[in-house]
Amino acid sequence: MTGATIDHLVASTVFLAALLLFIGFFNQMNQTAIVYQNHKHISTKCSDILDSILLNPGSPSDWGFSGSSTRKLTFFGLQDPDFQEYRLSPFSLTRLLSPGAQQYNNVSWDLNGGYLLLQASECIDYHNVTSLLGINGIYDFQLAIAPTLTVNISEVSDAHLNLRIQVYGTGFPLSNAYLNYLMFWANTSTSGSFPILNCNFTSDALQTDSSGIASIEFPYLSSGTAFTFIVKAYTTGISGTGYLAKETVTNSGNLIPYIQSYDVGKANVILAQNPQTGMGNLYFNASFYALPDNFVPVPAGNFAGNVNSGTPSQNLQITTNNQTGFLVVAYGDGNHYGMMITALGVDSIGVPVTFGANPSGKDWVATDLRQVLIGDIAYQAKLSLWSLQGYGVTG
Amino acid sequence: MTGAFLTASFFAVLPSPRQVSPINLSRLALTTLQTLDAQSDLSTVAFDTTNDTAWNQLQIALSACLPPNVVFNLTAYDISTQNGQLYSATGGRSISNAASLGLGSDVASYIVASSNVTFTVTPQKIRATLYILNCSDSNGWWITGYTVQSIAQEIAQMFGPYFEPSSIIMVQNTTQLGKLLNGQPLQNETSVQNAIVINTCGEAVPIPQSYANLYSSDYARYSYQLGNLTNLYNWTWVSIVGYPLYYVTSTLALSGTQNSWGVYGMARIGPAGLTAFLQGLDKQSYSNNGAGITLDVGVVTLTPATLDNCSYYGIFPSPTQTATRALPTSIKTQYNLTTATMVFNAKNNAIAGAVFNHVFRGGTRTTGSLFALGITRVPDIRLVGLGILSNYNPVLYKSLYTTAGTSKLVVLQLGLAGGK
Repeated sequence: MTGATIDHLVASTVFLAALLLFIGFFNQMNQTAIVYQNHKHISTKCSDILDSILLNPGSPSDWGFSGSSTRKLTFFGLQDPDFQEYRLSPFSLTRLLSPGAQQYNNVSWDLNGGYLLLQASECIDYHNVTSLLGINGIYDFQLAIAPTLTVNISEVSDAHLNLRIQVYGTGFPLSNAYLNYLMFWANTSTSGSFPILNCNFTSDALQTDSSGIASIEFPYLSSGTAFTFIVKAYTTGISGTGYLAKETVTNSGNLIPYIQSYDVGKANVILAQNPQTGMGNLYFNASFYALPDNFVPVPAGNFAGNVNSGTPSQNLQITTNNQTGFLVVAYGDGNHYGMMITALGVDSIGVPVTFGANPSGKDWVATDLRQVLIGDIAYQAKLSLWSLQGYGVTG
Repeated sequence: MTGAFLTASFFAVLPSPRQVSPINLSRLALTTLQTLDAQSDLSTVAFDTTNDTAWNQLQIALSACLPPNVVFNLTAYDISTQNGQLYSATGGRSISNAASLGLGSDVASYIVASSNVTFTVTPQKIRATLYILNCSDSNGWWITGYTVQSIAQEIAQMFGPYFEPSSIIMVQNTTQLGKLLNGQPLQNETSVQNAIVINTCGEAVPIPQSYANLYSSDYARYSYQLGNLTNLYNWTWVSIVGYPLYYVTSTLALSGTQNSWGVYGMARIGPAGLTAFLQGLDKQSYSNNGAGITLDVGVVTLTPATLDNCSYYGIFPSPTQTATRALPTSIKTQYNLTTATMVFNAKNNAIAGAVFNHVFRGGTRTTGSLFALGITRVPDIRLVGLGILSNYNPVLYKSLYTTAGTSKLVVLQLGLAGGK
């Protein structure tokens, strides 16, 4: 009798243990399936949101051209207002204000002597964008829009100005690509301290070798010359652009361009002195060029002036007529000269834009990729998306 | 238990990690082709099949603009004018950067035209405003596999050539829908009269917050109001799939309500929604009638006129569809409706897809229309396109010079290198 009871107890214990074990197995399998389902949902949403951003211009559709329209934005999108598929507005992209940026956006800051700083009140911030997309509090994202072709320009040590240009795609050098370039340089003035702004443009003069590299020498310029060099690389069906400006900090500092406003074809740019201890006079000569797709710049305004401790900034009114272009500035204190460039529209000098939250450290980040055009420059738009709501799946 | 576990494990095959969050290769391929052809370079190279240098440059450009882990095969096919095989690789050319395209691949195709040919199609513009309900604060039902936004974009793209760009208006949220229902233009349209309103939420209809508050005790009254407004503004209300107006949806106003199937932000009206809409359209007094009126008629076929329009407008859905929510022909006499355009042939005294015009008895003027597609899920927006185009009949003005050898089909197939 006692033996039967013990047998019964042992059998019951084993049965219960086995039951609990297999319930655990089933739960684990279900949990894995739910996690997979959630990940798949985020991935689909990522693709949808990316297309939603790239295939509509927002409303009002001209918000990229106008600060007042930006403030009235009721739907968010980056498509060019001409409604061409996967072609983006070069101006809407300059109005994206990522978290952390304060008085001016940080699309580009002192990258190879180039700037793109637009006042925050002219931009739309990340929180508003997520609200307009209907995902606020549900998903976070980061949108990275970068030129498909990277065009690196570097100075080669030489008696004369000698530049090395390297062109490559996302994983492959661009051999036998044609290069057009625009060269601006500053000369010492014979009368007064204003630098003289010179330029030289060429067409199809250069071609990259099998490693995607080309070199160009300027025998008429010494290696210390302040210059701005913009190059456009082109091969079958794909174009990219890059730049290098020799930004020098003189004894009176250097200049930083802040785009105060940009509205209906007029831009208000402040050239501010980045002071050094001397705070003496810093003289400048600046030109704005519209840059159409054929890469032949159209001069559209010249400016000259100086800044010092009493007048630390100068205001430039530029008529752009809603065309992309760039403002190139030569400055100097009479002894040293430097140059810098600011873009109006991201494609003119190939500025990349990264907008949104930081995906690093997030549990599951879905990404998707599209090829897009800005002007005729090839860009890639990559969206990283992650959920803020754990594993709940709705919709 | 072990047997049950093993059996469940055998059938519960989970997808590989790559399938869980795949990069959308089809879209990437399409956008790559569009980029390459932005300056007509792809078209030029596709027709220059003997030019090795040009094809090498194309391969370099492809390699440069695709991520390093993506392998590709690009083939240009001749389009044959002979009977038999339509696309032929004989006169075409192919390039690839890998012997195989890995475990999975996807393709996009693109028609390029020779520089020697000019082929244009200019559609006549429909003189009406097209409102597409693309409300970000609403959910969809019976649009399985799609999102409201993706359907809205596809519809906007499909109708793009047939409307002035300023006449296609996305209704982005229920606040904008509320304005529209109050007769306020959303952009620069002169009035909201005579418009087409396409509901992309399937069997659900977005409801603005104020209406949700007003009709919280009986949402069928909202459908009644929609019918009234459709009459007042002479709208063509389009229901793209299933039983029209079966649910109301708003992720804000109905955040704590679910549609009895577990989808929150949605409340069930039931069959009373459509009946109330028809009552409103015909200016009848309101009564909540929850009796279902649709019929499950099975397979239905496109009408001969619709089939002709398939060829004319170049939209080719399957000519047979399954209809489980067809409207009975009796609604025509009950609510003073006439069939302006039949998309499907009538079957068992029911109509699976038609544009019903409302004309008061003894009158001649149309006062509101309903275009209901009572097919089963998932929705096929090509049927919506065919129905609207068949109803408005915009003319296509075509000009074509020399047809032989004028086009090539370029197919870009992308795959992901590496293992799972």
